[in-house]
Amino acid sequence: MIISEQWLRDWVRVELSAQEIADCLTNAGLEVDGVESIAGPIENLVVGKVLTVEKHPDADRLNCTTVDIGSEVLNIVCGAANVRQDLMVAVATVGAKLPNGLKIKKAKVRGVESIGMLCSASELGLEENSAGLIELDADAEIGQRVDEYLQLDDKLIDIDLTPNRGDCLSVQGIAREMKVLADGSYHPLDIEAVAATIDDAIDVELQDSVNCPRYIGRVIKNISQEAVTPLWMQERLRRSAVRPISPIVDITNYVMIELGQPMHAFDLAKLNDKIVVRQSKAGEKIKLLDESEATLDAQTLIIADAQAPIAIAGVMGGLDSAIDDNTVDIVLEAAHFTRKSASGKARRYGLHTESSFRFERGVDPQLPPQAIERATELVLEICGGQAGPIVEQKQESAIQGKPAVEIRLDRLVSLLGMPLDEAEVDDILSRIADSVTGENGVWSVTPPSYRFDIECEADLVEEVARVKGYDNIPTKMPRIAPRSMAASEARIGERQVRQSLVARDYREAITYSFIDPAVHAIFSTEEPVKLANPLADNMAVMRTSLIPGLMGALQFNANRQHDRIRFYEVGASYHKDGKAFREEQKLSGVVLGQVAATQWGLSKPQNIDFYDVKSDLEAVLALTGHKNPIIFNEFEHIALHPGQSSLLTRNELNGDKTVLGWLGRLHPTVEKHYGVHNVVAFEINLGVALNAQLPSFQSVSRFPSIKRDLSVLVDQDLPIAGLLESLRNELGAVLVKVELFDLYRGQGVADDAKSISLSLVLQHQDKTMTDEEAEGLMAEARSLLETKWGATLRS
Amino acid sequence: MTDSLDSNLKNILEQARSAIAVSEKPAQLEELRVNYLGKKGELTNQLKQIGSLPHEERPKFGDKVNAVKQEVAQLLNHKKAELDAIALAAALAAEKIDITLPGRGIGSGGIHPVTRTMQRIEDIFVAMGFGIATGPEIEDDFHNFEALNIPPEHPARAMHDTFYIDTAEGDEGTHLLRTHTSPVQARYMLSETPPINIIAPGRVYRCDSDVTHTPMFHQVEGLMVDEGISFADLKGVLTHFLRQFFETDLNIRLRPSYFPFTEPSAEVDISCVFCVDQQGKTQGCRICKQTGWIEVLGSGMIHPEVFKHVGIDSEKYTGFAFGLGVERLTMLRYGVTDLRLFFDNDLTFLEQFK
Repeated sequence: MIISEQWLRDWVRVELSAQEIADCLTNAGLEVDGVESIAGPIENLVVGKVLTVEKHPDADRLNCTTVDIGSEVLNIVCGAANVRQDLMVAVATVGAKLPNGLKIKKAKVRGVESIGMLCSASELGLEENSAGLIELDADAEIGQRVDEYLQLDDKLIDIDLTPNRGDCLSVQGIAREMKVLADGSYHPLDIEAVAATIDDAIDVELQDSVNCPRYIGRVIKNISQEAVTPLWMQERLRRSAVRPISPIVDITNYVMIELGQPMHAFDLAKLNDKIVVRQSKAGEKIKLLDESEATLDAQTLIIADAQAPIAIAGVMGGLDSAIDDNTVDIVLEAAHFTRKSASGKARRYGLHTESSFRFERGVDPQLPPQAIERATELVLEICGGQAGPIVEQKQESAIQGKPAVEIRLDRLVSLLGMPLDEAEVDDILSRIADSVTGENGVWSVTPPSYRFDIECEADLVEEVARVKGYDNIPTKMPRIAPRSMAASEARIGERQVRQSLVARDYREAITYSFIDPAVHAIFSTEEPVKLANPLADNMAVMRTSLIPGLMGALQFNANRQHDRIRFYEVGASYHKDGKAFREEQKLSGVVLGQVAATQWGLSKPQNIDFYDVKSDLEAVLALTGHKNPIIFNEFEHIALHPGQSSLLTRNELNGDKTVLGWLGRLHPTVEKHYGVHNVVAFEINLGVALNAQLPSFQSVSRFPSIKRDLSVLVDQDLPIAGLLESLRNELGAVLVKVELFDLYRGQGVADDAKSISLSLVLQHQDKTMTDEEAEGLMAEARSLLETKWGATLRS
Repeated sequence: MTDSLDSNLKNILEQARSAIAVSEKPAQLEELRVNYLGKKGELTNQLKQIGSLPHEERPKFGDKVNAVKQEVAQLLNHKKAELDAIALAAALAAEKIDITLPGRGIGSGGIHPVTRTMQRIEDIFVAMGFGIATGPEIEDDFHNFEALNIPPEHPARAMHDTFYIDTAEGDEGTHLLRTHTSPVQARYMLSETPPINIIAPGRVYRCDSDVTHTPMFHQVEGLMVDEGISFADLKGVLTHFLRQFFETDLNIRLRPSYFPFTEPSAEVDISCVFCVDQQGKTQGCRICKQTGWIEVLGSGMIHPEVFKHVGIDSEKYTGFAFGLGVERLTMLRYGVTDLRLFFDNDLTFLEQFK
């Protein structure tokens, strides 16, 4: 809400500058976004009256005028179309400096002398663009300073109100707040009832008094079609960011800004018989003021006449019953629509209006009688006409005062953590509410009818704290009951995983949780969780894997001259789980490019392959301390290379076999889709993978070990893991280590074979291993390889 | 006779001395050692002549020969040490490398700046005694809104541009992407009893995207519930946290605000860390919009309605909650000027964070 400083000062007197008022509001929870000046004082700018207008002899579009400014009559050449005799104008005389920087000097315009300039609203800094001269009211005093007349020395205070403070959406509301906060003297309008001079009235049928507990209508007849909105009102509306439209509409808007009561006016001639306040019927249609047509549901409060809807209550009026240039008789409406009836309506119909904004936040149910009288007074003053009697329908019980709220001094003191004086609290409460009773540190406070946000003790605690000032509440450190327990050793932390990958030259990415359904389909056949209202089509489904996002990041960088990319991400994937949803915490990675960057002293570095990334993964998973090795099984996945992908499983101590995740090279068609070649990816389910085993001590043998190497030829397709596993089983505990240290294919080895070289470390726990024993064990090993794996010994 | 032997000894010593002095290689020294001190060496020969001397002079002569032998041996040893040192120096000189050449191998990667900030926030609160809790990102309406005193159609819902899950027929209730980490508050209080002091970090979502908004971002929720917890405690914990986080004695300002799940509520500002001078006075700059204050988080005392929803007696217990934006703190801490950089995953950006 934007409020004019001058207008506010009419309502409340405080010894504060505009900036101080802004700071005061901000510190009390009404955050001021900015304070902006209209224009400072302008010298040599006075009210003048146009005496004569003649065509310029040498220019069709110019006029030569004489203008009375009280002290003298000036000859001024003017180009505005709306200049005419008797018009009251703003005259910048010689020496004036306008807000846009223009300095006024004596001039000759096409040979005619011009002593000064007649100004438009934009030249005075009031509008962005103006069509012609600003037309001052006919009763303006000739010779008066225009900056005083128009209150140009005004500032606009822009307040960002929280949704609980609907009561501050008016000049009256902010003034009341300043009265409370700065103890200013408050000068509300003295609104007097306007007596009816005619008997004309319209029937109001209040069918839904739950959603509309108060409806006031009033007929005003014979308004003038010549009336114009006075400049002061136009100015105040403009400064409140409301566009002036026509006198009646401007008056209803003005009363809304001034008092906070949204109003509406109907053209009496266009109404059929009466006004009915009721729920809409499904499918009913209404053409609205913005010329759109709304099809109503069955739960919308509307204003109707005997036949059809004429307004969506508290949101927008209908076009067919609207005031126009020919309107003679009107019906003014000031009603109370409850917050509940208003809430969500603006959103449902896409009609966010000043009115709906206020009703959603709550409007004072005691305002309509004042607003209708104020509006009547203004209509009669500006448009003339005769007012009929007030017609009011109401549900008295629903608009009665709010229940009293109790507040205890000891609660206040313990919640705020500061000592408070009973008298001081009493004073603050009395500033907020009209009715405060209490003794012995317990008060009963009846909130004003406009304060919808005071419903319980905590609300009053905030009020006291706010008025007292949060700055005055002390700062202390609570005694904190320790809840922070060191993580269990039975689990590896995600931080360790991250750090371990960082040490292996991986970089962490964070990608969006929602992805393009088309991209999802590349990586998964699972039905993804869909968003009902995605921001864009390419963010419409929740990821079931982190790889699509990481591939997006990889491609982004590959397109920007990066040729070695190693990304990982830790985050959730999202799945449907029957009728519910499930999230899985995952670690995923994508790797592209050389094992190490090209550098001196290394022969041409190789591109990464499956095994490089396998070693990274093994190192990370080794943090868990599991004795059982990770089992790599062949794996089929729509986005992976069929010959280079693997499922990772682990045999747990309790005999369960858990699936940890997968590792593999992307399928060449997927690589092609991203315009990259040779990407290895992995995805690990952290929920199970990070379960750890505690180290358990094995005695350290003091006896020497014997190391023996063995080279054999085996079938080229033979998986090595099984062979190594069988050696361990066969030789038992004396085989403390077996490693594959060379693998060879090529010259000297048959096409269908590969040569493998193993190194075996043999050691007893309790005695020295002799050469003879070692030979025996090696013979056993050779024989196993020959019989079980069809190996032939290499010479 | 003795005189001539004596002068022989003297000559031998002098010869040895000059021969050793001009030696350039260890092998030459070894040769000299044999020549003078060996079994057939000159000094051994001299000793053999001892028989030609009268009995009474023999011990004296023997001593003299041995003295010369020792001296020669010492000269040889010194020279040997000297030559070894020269040889070592030469070898070292030959092995000199260019130590300014770059190191070889792979480098190290880095964690994401948001993770870095998140870990820092966690560390500070854990050191204060807070635990860490988590909750689902696909939430239901109850935990995200209703339990937090935001009933349907509450105007505060308009402040949360919510992503809803497209639920098929038969799915359980309305689901959405959590709009804040606050539902973890509700979940934790439903399952645990006071004293409670936790933080809950995680991803949150709002359907909003422009220069200052991304549809996904990170928050850390804080929650403390116990007997006698006050607004002053809230100020204390947040002041401690913010001063630790920014590692400076900055000023903290609380302003009244509105969150449906806290009452009283407060926005927390810190004195601008970009335009503060040596005396601790802020000058006003672009980042604090000339106000000297930067808004960093929202907070407040837990609303009795929330306690009611989670079954905690609000007469016995009080508490506070706060929520802070991780990206915002990251931007302030490291001077990042564009929020959107966090999710572009541009290596040129990420490589600035180790």
